[in-house]
This record gives sequence, C-alpha cells and structure tokens, in this order.
Amino acid sequence: MTLAEVSKSFGDNLVLDRIDLEIDRGSAVVVAGPSGSGKSTMLRCINGLEAIDEGTIRFDGRAVHSTGREIYGIRAEIGMVFQQFNLFPHMTVLENITLAPLEVEHASKDEGRRRALRLLERVGIPEKADDSPADLSGGQQQRVAIARALAVEPKLMLFDEPTSALDPEMIREVLDVMRDLAREGMTMIVVTHEMGFAREVCDRIVFIDEGRIVEQGTPDEFFNQTRSDRAKEFVDKIIHH
Amino acid sequence: MSELWEVLSEHLPEFSSGLWVTFRLVAISFVIAMAVGILIAALRVAPVRWLNRIGGIYVETFRNVPLLVLLIIAFSGLPRAGVPVSQWVAGTACLGLYTAAYIAEALRSGVFAVGRGQIEAALSLGLSYPRTMRRIILPQAFRTVIPALGSLVIAMIKNSAIVGGSLVALPDLLKQTREVQADTFQTNEVFFWAAVGYLILTLTATLAFRYLEHRYAIRR
Ligand SMILES: Nc1ncnc2c1ncn2[C@@H]1O[C@H](COP(=O)(O)OP(=O)(O)O)[C@@H](O)[C@H]1O
Ligand SMILES: [Mg+2]
Repeated sequence: MTLAEVSKSFGDNLVLDRIDLEIDRGSAVVVAGPSGSGKSTMLRCINGLEAIDEGTIRFDGRAVHSTGREIYGIRAEIGMVFQQFNLFPHMTVLENITLAPLEVEHASKDEGRRRALRLLERVGIPEKADDSPADLSGGQQQRVAIARALAVEPKLMLFDEPTSALDPEMIREVLDVMRDLAREGMTMIVVTHEMGFAREVCDRIVFIDEGRIVEQGTPDEFFNQTRSDRAKEFVDKIIHH
Repeated sequence: MSELWEVLSEHLPEFSSGLWVTFRLVAISFVIAMAVGILIAALRVAPVRWLNRIGGIYVETFRNVPLLVLLIIAFSGLPRAGVPVSQWVAGTACLGLYTAAYIAEALRSGVFAVGRGQIEAALSLGLSYPRTMRRIILPQAFRTVIPALGSLVIAMIKNSAIVGGSLVALPDLLKQTREVQADTFQTNEVFFWAAVGYLILTLTATLAFRYLEHRYAIRR
C-alpha cells in the first residue's frame, strides 16, 4: 500500500496535505493525531470511499480511484472497521458476516455459513450467530464487525478508532482480537488513541496533524525520542491522561 | 333495527360482490403503486441529476392532480384519442399511479433515513452501489416506512370509492351500494353496510401493517 503526495480538500478546507505513506505487507501501523487532523479521511481515501484531489494511492500495484468498476474488487480486498460498528441492523450476526461472501464472491450458503462460524469462533462469540446485532454489547458488536470485514479474506485491514465508542471494560476484548490479527501477520492500519496497544503491537506509529504526517517511527522512537512539539504535546496529553 | 338486517340478507350478493371488487381493485392498484413507487423513489435518490428530475416531475404531477381528474382523462379522454381503456385498466392504473407518487415520497424519506455509515460499511465490503441499494438501503428504508405505507393503503381503500363513484363505474362496494339504494330507497340502511364494508377492509389493513411493523421492526 503506497500513498504518494496525496492531497484532499473539502471546499477550501485542506484535510490531507501531500501525504506520503508506505505500508509493507504484514506490518501493523498505528495512526495517531488530534481530532480533525484527517485520520478518518485518509482511511476513507485508501479504500476509495472518498476521492482524492491530487497524488496517487496504489494497492498491490493497482491505482485506487473512486470511479470505475475495479474499485469494488479492491475494496473487497481491504477490510474496514468503523468507530460506530455500522452493523446492518436488519440482519442477524451471521447474515452480517455472510453478506459479502455471498454477494461479492458468490460463495455457496454453506460455505458462507462455515466461514462465518469460524470467524465468530476466532473473535470469541460463536454462540451469537443467530442473534440480532442490537442484542449484543458494544464490544461484541465491534468483534462481529471485525469478523464481517475478515469474511472476504482481505489483504489489508483498516481500523478507524475501533474502541472509541466502547465502554472501558470492553476495549480490552476488541484490542485482543486486533492484536491476534497482527500476530498472525495481517497488514493493518489502525487509527487509535490506545497507546498501550500501539506500543505493544504495532511496527510503526504515524503522527498526523492538520493533514500532514508530522512524525513517524517505531513505537520506541515515537515515545522516547519524540521530535516535533505537536507530537510531544500529544504524547504528554495521552500518557498523563 | 330489523330493517337493517333485512337489507343485508336480501342484498348480500350485491354487497359481497362489491366488497370483493373493491378488494381486488385495491390489491391490484397496490401492486402497481409499489412497483412504480419503488422505481420513482429509485430515480429520486439516484446520483444522477436528470433522473432525479424525472422522478420529481412524476411525483409533483400525480400528487397535484385530483384522482377524479385522472380517472376522467383515462376513461373518457384516452378513448376519444383512439386508445380504448377498460374499466379495470382505468381504475387500477389511476389509483395505482396516483398512490405511487405518495409511496415514492415515503420511500425516499426512508432511504435518506438510512445512515451514511451503513452505506459505507456495505461499500467497504466490496458491494457495488446497486447491490448496496438492494441489500442494505432499501430493506432498511422499507422497514422504516411500514407505518407510512399502512396509512397510504388505508387512504387507497377509501380513494377506491372514487373509482366506483366516477364515470368509470367499476361495480365496487360503492357502486353496488348505490344500486341497492336505488332499488330500495333505504339510504341509511344500505350506506350503513357500505361503511361497515370499508371498515372491514381498513381495519384488516391496519392490523396487517401493525403486524408487519412489529415483525420487521429494526432495533438499534
Ligand atoms: N464529508 C466531509 N465534508 C466536509 N468536511 C469534512 C468531511 N469529512 C471530514 N471533513 C473535515 O475534514 C477534517 C478532517 O476530518 P477527519 O478525517 O474526520 O479527522 P479525524 O478522523 O482525524 O478526526 C475535519 O475538519 C472535518 O470537518
Ligand atoms: Mg475520525
């Protein structure tokens, strides 16, 4: 996954300012930065939910443009997990997970079901398959959302503040699932304020402020040798919070 | 009191055939209204300006011309222009196309009530926009507009009397009641039973939609 000189504005609000970012296969990258700095927008550009104004985004050698049919194929290879879960309320947990395998890959019903149950097992809630999302706790819903994103066997997973809408006691269960994914070699881009997770799991932290990548490095470099004032301020605030 | 029951027992065949015609008129019109309403709603929410406009023109036309005028055009005007139209075609087409405008508007509001996050979640799974529409947006839109659809069906049952009362004169409950009235001159008694007939249909519809609402409620 490569972003080169990517810029994006909403009206005259420059939200991404010449972003360069390269993510190697199998690596986990945490994106941090103050609210409104453009983190969500960056993720949305990466899977073509938002069009970019300038620059290029390439995934596995293909350009991500938000027009043309090819984008559907690319999106199926990129899983996305949202802050608000966004489970489909008119479907059961199982149907949420099998939707993409059935609709996009034309898998058989049996195959879809098998895959979904395996994924539910993996995120620790196999018994919830036939429940409605509304009957699940926030943490369980987010784990279903992760299973749903994994159902098409993506090569890259995007997480946009996956634990920000959760009560503290549920954050752990979601982070555990994400940590396992990273250990299994999933390529991940995670927007989060969970610096414990960043320190423990990720290979690199990217700090964004006002649409620019201000600083990036290994967790150790980031926490111990923070260079920019903005990142310092941010680290202080998060650690002493 | 006894006269009331007498009229009913003597003219039960007319009343029941009228009720049956009204039922079929409403059922066929409802199918037309749903099919056309979905199509027009899709035009109204499509990401293409000129399609939106076509949908808008349809809605404004059919919402702003009285049903009776539509019936006169269809049943009296069109034949004069060389297009023969039967009672049933005129009745079901007019009632269906008229109601379709309201159904389209209800569905449109239902579509806009589906959150952006739902659409993005579907797209991020690799679903195309039309598939997202079919599997995510429309099913949720339908569920939120079930109560509104219920009101429209009730309005449609009542509006169906305009078909029987107009020059189209389909032998529906109203038309049959009038004929019984012309036979018997028992105006109060016969129209009491007409009212009961319409109540049976509207109350059944109310219960059916209440059940659907309960069955397909979206809990968030
Ligand atoms: N759809 C949109 N239309 C207009 N402005 C937007 C839109 N989405 C985001 N923005 C603006 O872009 C900026 C960055 O937003 P976002 O990417 O959500 O930041 P973050 O996720 O880092 O909090 C904000 O100023 C926000 O108001
Ligand atoms: Mg955000």
